[in-house]
Amino acid sequence: MAEFLQHPVQKLQDAAILTDLVTDSMILVNMVIDLQEDFRIRLVQEDLKDVKTVGQLLAVFERKMSG
Amino acid sequence: MANKLTENELWILSFYRTSEISGALFFGRLARSMKPGQIQRDMTKHFSDESQHAWYWTSCMQRFGTFPLKLSQAYQDKYLEAAGMPANLMEVLAITQTFEKRVIAQYALHSRVPGLKPEIAETFTKIMEDEKWHIEWVGEALKRMEPEYGKSYIDDTLKRYWKADKEVYGAVLKEHEDRVQDLLRYRKRTA
Repeated sequence: MAEFLQHPVQKLQDAAILTDLVTDSMILVNMVIDLQEDFRIRLVQEDLKDVKTVGQLLAVFERKMSG
Repeated sequence: MANKLTENELWILSFYRTSEISGALFFGRLARSMKPGQIQRDMTKHFSDESQHAWYWTSCMQRFGTFPLKLSQAYQDKYLEAAGMPANLMEVLAITQTFEKRVIAQYALHSRVPGLKPEIAETFTKIMEDEKWHIEWVGEALKRMEPEYGKSYIDDTLKRYWKADKEVYGAVLKEHEDRVQDLLRYRKRTA
């Protein structure tokens, strides 16, 4: 995530708002697709409906990977 | 050198250019991370086309002795607000399909406006050829995804994005009403 967003890992605190970390919100779409390829999982729009922060996005990935 | 562009013409061509650049950046990033295969190939070509289109608009404006305006927002930026963030490759392709159809309809409408400068008309003709292929490859990719995602999920996703697109298009026209008066008048007359 840090590599994709070009931010140091320290800046990616759980409470960090995802849209504050990018200049173009399409970058977030790219990142989510890319992470799904890496972790071989599939999300649907419903999964991301309430995701606003780094921590919430990580929780979605953890849930999908453990399920 | 061709006649000067009006302020509104310069704005709208700059808006087209900005949207093409946003598309190129988006598809470029996606193409870079795609698994080897047909989608990776087509997405790379799509990225390359969008970059080329941004250049066509830049070069078109230069023929009128001017440079594009620096605009902060592209058409695509409004999509995510209205439709929500696409979460997988199928949803990305569905939103792309919707967007490309909107682009071609918009360019076709604009290219028919009476009194359009030939340099602009020529640019539309070049770009619209590529846009047809964009709709084609994305449509084929979505068809190939049916066994994996299910036809009804794909159809529902497309429907959701069509609805969002209508809202976004209406909102953009309203927001920039003063800039696109000629287009709106022509649209109303031919509706």
